[in-house]
Amino acid sequence: MNSKLFCRSASSTAVRMGTLLLGACLFTSAAFAGKAQAPEWVHSAATQPMPAHDDKVDAVVLYSSEEMTVDSSSHTHGVVRQVLKILRPDGREHGVVYVPYGKSSKVVHLRGWCIPASGDDYEVKDKDWLDIAPPGVRYGELVNDLRYKVISIPAAEVGNVIAFEYEVEEDPLVLQDTWSPQLQDPVRETHYRLNLPPSWEYKATWSNGPDVKPTASGNSYEWVLHDVPALNIEQHMPPFRAVATHMVVSMIAPGGSEKTFNSWEQMGNWYNRLLADRLSSTPEIDAQVASLTAGKTTQLAKMQALARFAQADVRYVAIELGIGGWQPHAASEVFKNRFGDCKDKATLLRTMLKQIGVESYHVSVNVRRGAADPKMQASVGIFNHVITAIRLPAGVDDVSLFAIYNHPKLGRLLFFDPTNEFVPFGELPDYEQASYGLLTGPDGGEMVQLPREPSSLNGIRRTAKATLDATGGLKATFDELRFGSRAAEQRDVLQSADRREDRTKAVENLLSHSFSAYTLTYMASVNAADVSQPFGYKYSATVPNYAKYAGDLLLVRPRLVGSRSSALLEDKEPRKQPVVFEGPELDNDVFEITIPPGYVVDDVPPPMDADFPFASYHSKTTVEGNVIRYQRSFEVKDLRVDMNQMDDLKKFYRMIASDERSTAVLKPGASSAASTLH
Amino acid sequence: MVRLISPRMILAPLLSVLLLAPAARAFDGWLPLSQDDLTMKATDKAPGASAIILYKQVDRDDDSGARHEHVYKRIKILTEEGRKYATVDVVFGVRSDGKEAEARHISTSFSGLKGRTIHPDGAIVEFDGSVFDQKNESDKTSVKDRRFSLNDVHAGDIIEYQVNVDLDDRYIFSSHWTLSEPLYVREAKFSLKPNHRLLLRWSWPAGLPAGTQPPVEERLTGLIHMEAHDIPALPREDFMPPLNTLEMRVVFSYTLDRSVETDPVKFWRAWGKKEYGLFESFLGSRGELQSAAQKATAGAATDDQKARKLYDFVLSLENTSLGPQRSRQELERDKAKTENAGDVLRQGRGSSQQLNWLYCGLARASGLDATPVMVSARDLYIFAPQLMDPHQLNGDLVQLKLGKDAVWLDLGAKFAPYGILPWEKTATRGMALDRDGGTWVDLPIAASADNTIETKAEFQLQENGTLQGTLTITYTGVEAMIRREGRHEQDDTARKKFLEEQVRNSIPVGATVDLTRQPDWKGTGPMVAKFNVSIAGWVTPAGRRAVCPVGFFTVSEKEMFTRTTRFHNIYFHFPYRKLDDVKIELPAGWSVASLPAAWEKDAKAAAIIVHIEANGNQLHVTRVLRNDLLTVEVKNYASLRQFFSLVRTGDELQAVLQPAGATSPPQQ
Repeated sequence: MNSKLFCRSASSTAVRMGTLLLGACLFTSAAFAGKAQAPEWVHSAATQPMPAHDDKVDAVVLYSSEEMTVDSSSHTHGVVRQVLKILRPDGREHGVVYVPYGKSSKVVHLRGWCIPASGDDYEVKDKDWLDIAPPGVRYGELVNDLRYKVISIPAAEVGNVIAFEYEVEEDPLVLQDTWSPQLQDPVRETHYRLNLPPSWEYKATWSNGPDVKPTASGNSYEWVLHDVPALNIEQHMPPFRAVATHMVVSMIAPGGSEKTFNSWEQMGNWYNRLLADRLSSTPEIDAQVASLTAGKTTQLAKMQALARFAQADVRYVAIELGIGGWQPHAASEVFKNRFGDCKDKATLLRTMLKQIGVESYHVSVNVRRGAADPKMQASVGIFNHVITAIRLPAGVDDVSLFAIYNHPKLGRLLFFDPTNEFVPFGELPDYEQASYGLLTGPDGGEMVQLPREPSSLNGIRRTAKATLDATGGLKATFDELRFGSRAAEQRDVLQSADRREDRTKAVENLLSHSFSAYTLTYMASVNAADVSQPFGYKYSATVPNYAKYAGDLLLVRPRLVGSRSSALLEDKEPRKQPVVFEGPELDNDVFEITIPPGYVVDDVPPPMDADFPFASYHSKTTVEGNVIRYQRSFEVKDLRVDMNQMDDLKKFYRMIASDERSTAVLKPGASSAASTLH
Repeated sequence: MVRLISPRMILAPLLSVLLLAPAARAFDGWLPLSQDDLTMKATDKAPGASAIILYKQVDRDDDSGARHEHVYKRIKILTEEGRKYATVDVVFGVRSDGKEAEARHISTSFSGLKGRTIHPDGAIVEFDGSVFDQKNESDKTSVKDRRFSLNDVHAGDIIEYQVNVDLDDRYIFSSHWTLSEPLYVREAKFSLKPNHRLLLRWSWPAGLPAGTQPPVEERLTGLIHMEAHDIPALPREDFMPPLNTLEMRVVFSYTLDRSVETDPVKFWRAWGKKEYGLFESFLGSRGELQSAAQKATAGAATDDQKARKLYDFVLSLENTSLGPQRSRQELERDKAKTENAGDVLRQGRGSSQQLNWLYCGLARASGLDATPVMVSARDLYIFAPQLMDPHQLNGDLVQLKLGKDAVWLDLGAKFAPYGILPWEKTATRGMALDRDGGTWVDLPIAASADNTIETKAEFQLQENGTLQGTLTITYTGVEAMIRREGRHEQDDTARKKFLEEQVRNSIPVGATVDLTRQPDWKGTGPMVAKFNVSIAGWVTPAGRRAVCPVGFFTVSEKEMFTRTTRFHNIYFHFPYRKLDDVKIELPAGWSVASLPAAWEKDAKAAAIIVHIEANGNQLHVTRVLRNDLLTVEVKNYASLRQFFSLVRTGDELQAVLQPAGATSPPQQ
């Protein structure tokens, strides 16, 4: 059942990439199948009127159905059907259909049809399948327990109707399903049918929509929706699932089942059972732990060493939780392979920590804040990532440990993400902060809010001293420290450099966005490899014609480098969804520019003070003697901006843009003139 | 750079097998490891490299029943990033764009895979043999993407592997050694056992590494081999020449001909004759052409009018080379084949080449002097006739002689204006085909004045610093052609979004853009688009004054050649000219306090002229950027960078405005 959730996610970037890669082979693999005829249900749907839509819609779903049948041995049998009409050229990508499957599931059949505007129908049969590794997943080819069946439907062209049907048998780890009737395309008619064995029950929970009741026939239940509007994707919007109408349905066997849960606590117990035999150590792991902790005299140092191993020495296969199943590989296997996905990394780290007497737990999270909420029905579909909660031993305390949660029973828990190799031990990536995760402790599961760290742990502190000459040329020396994700992204850039020349690319990019011409005269990075310390750049540059003449005036932009403005809301289309920030952040800049002899400052930009509930921006340009001093701060205060604040956010970004482009005016004057302007 | 061997003697294969045997046995094991390599941290030969290839050996056998290639690579991992080289793509499939360079890697399977990781202390971790592939279960796909990943790899380790790659028989005609890698190669050895039934020539189009002796043929065995050292890494950059011209390869070309022609003149003459024969064969019956030509040129009084009418007629036919890729089912169902000019006329459609050849036929039937031309499209190759590689003549067009003038036409380019070629078919060589084999022709390139983007803006400045107004953009020549080609499969909604994004992305700050008039997307003339534009905060406060930047649609130049260093020559696709004419009406009571001086820079092949003037309460800025550059040698990169730096600096100039009442600067 897990597979169904991702079967046709044409919106997924990974799947789009896969479409491109697979295009050539699919087009040649679809063998001619003689005169074909689409089934009656396809033809029937094709004659139906289209749902309401605007001219930007790529396709409309005329009919969709999912039928889930559970047998008395808790095996499931799912049949999915969909009929679409392609309205625009971009809708062609609907013609490529992906169905994932894994060790516990099997794609019984996958077929597709096309009813062209004229001529006979087309049909794609099972023999035209491609079987591929997870598309667009880095190192995805390394895993062999997640694969995709793919077909390409012929003549998936504008004006044509396409349809597909697939059938998946599964021995599921959990008797739960999610029905997502709201898509990025409008839907005319959609059905979900649940067939349960006698005496079984179900529990259905709706999110972001009305509580639709099913019609019942025996122990079969059917939900039907008509004219479901499309949900458009906008930049920096909340997670799709957090705003789209969907239903989570749990199937409950008489007397309960190990594969059923109705609460977060039960879900935690369920997950503990999946983990039970995965956490065993081996002599090889023990030896590695001993080697890594040798000479380390404190528990903290030992934990840091093991965490670093899991971060850096085990390659991350970026398969989302759920798509790749919930059960991790055994720690021994992950250790041997030196690769794994998030849950594999967490499993190995837990196993290693155990060897030094430290307890830890899996924590299921979603890297899109807002997708997981304790008020939701406990569901596997909520999460897409796994991190670790480390139970800090008594006496382990350090100022570097920020991501701490004081659990009433388990004590101090330190959250750690072994997947992100650039996050320091003691901190969380900004995108995980303040979101909810399912802590799978010894007594079951509970939703806990991950700590939100101080804004100062994520951002850039930049200073510069510069000298301007009478030609407008600038010589500047910059010193910047980066924290949190701002540090991680630069470490990633440096690590990705294949050549020495590429190691200056990040700074050159920064300079090129701020200066029309420049020469980078010096650059060094600080703490590039030591993730426990802030990352730094020191660099110097000469900038010809930085100040521009306008008549006898010399115009100088006090803001030397860096930008916090955004054109996000400069769009003629009205915004429909709230804006979410990646995480808390605090940036500070202080730039000092010594003006050339013979000039005095005649005008400086006004200070900018933008203070909103979600963020603030303050800048000030002052003159002290022959030095223009510009300082500013930018802080994200609230991680979400609701629709009623959208005008303020637009205003906020415009104020920043104005400040960043504002100019001081110099005019000829006594070289010794000293002035103070505020 | 071309060498030739004669057909192998019957005994030669046997001899070569015997003589190769010791080398083959050497691969049962691994080459010795040196302590220096084990402890290496970096190398001056590749400063900052994440990894280097210490040793590479390729032994190719095109002669035996099962053609194959034995590959041995030893890689030193120098940084964390270098660990990615532990995942090895042994075999690539055909890319969706079908580029030939990738197609060379097709194989049917591989075997004998061995690999190991050697830690700096000499400890060895053997590869566990797991191979992951992506292939159709029914084995009908042409994609065979097989990978393996060596175990327990860290920075400082050496990894090495050996594998036998079995080659598809069809690809004997793409036999080659690839010297260039993404990584620096310290030492490499290559050998080829040529197919003894075919004639062979070989060449190295992009040259060989400094100090490398060309391939040597062993007289007794026919085995060809070569050693190379210090092969530089091949990085990717913007504005770089086609990869085919940069990647060092030794290319082996087999031929089915009875004899191998060593003289390029004779070779191309023979090839041209053959191609011309195919052209003649395509034209088939002249009667049908005559009739169609008469109909299409009805009313034309001059040859020029006839030529243009025929151009419009052929362009109106469906070009089956364009449009979305069709599935095999669709192709199978489409029984109507277009194999000759008559078919194309009857069915109203044909491939790009068929449309070009049809035009030739119709023009000739109308009494015009039209010649089919095969051309080397320079998006893939820089033509080198001495290589005698027909793949390099991969495009087609028509040469039409009207009096003394030659007109070049490409009927395969749906949106090419009459007399304008797609950029890749300009400034390159072609062969005008005839019965005698043809003659070489140099394809002209349109002047920058023919490929323009002209932007006219009329803005009103609001008190709050926002610019609002209308924009008219006219694209001509190749600038129009590439936009039409890129969007020809899209609808008006997507085209509107595309143009709006282009305008938004050309303005240095956030702007709201609304296309109010769609250009003609289907024709071949200039494209004229109109927009409403609003740019918030364009004018910013400076104490009692306000400043107004005078560079408006300048982002593309802002991002050109910003890197300090450069590896490859710089390669532009076509000359172009950008003309901006912007008028800004100031709010009542505002005045222009100070203007930057007009400026210009004429660097001969590129130039910019900027005028800024105030007319009453109107600010008027004109900017003309001309770029006639095609190729710039890397040694001149600093000059090129300096020119574009000057352009950017000029684009940052600002006019100083005096708001109404000296103490009321604009506020957001």
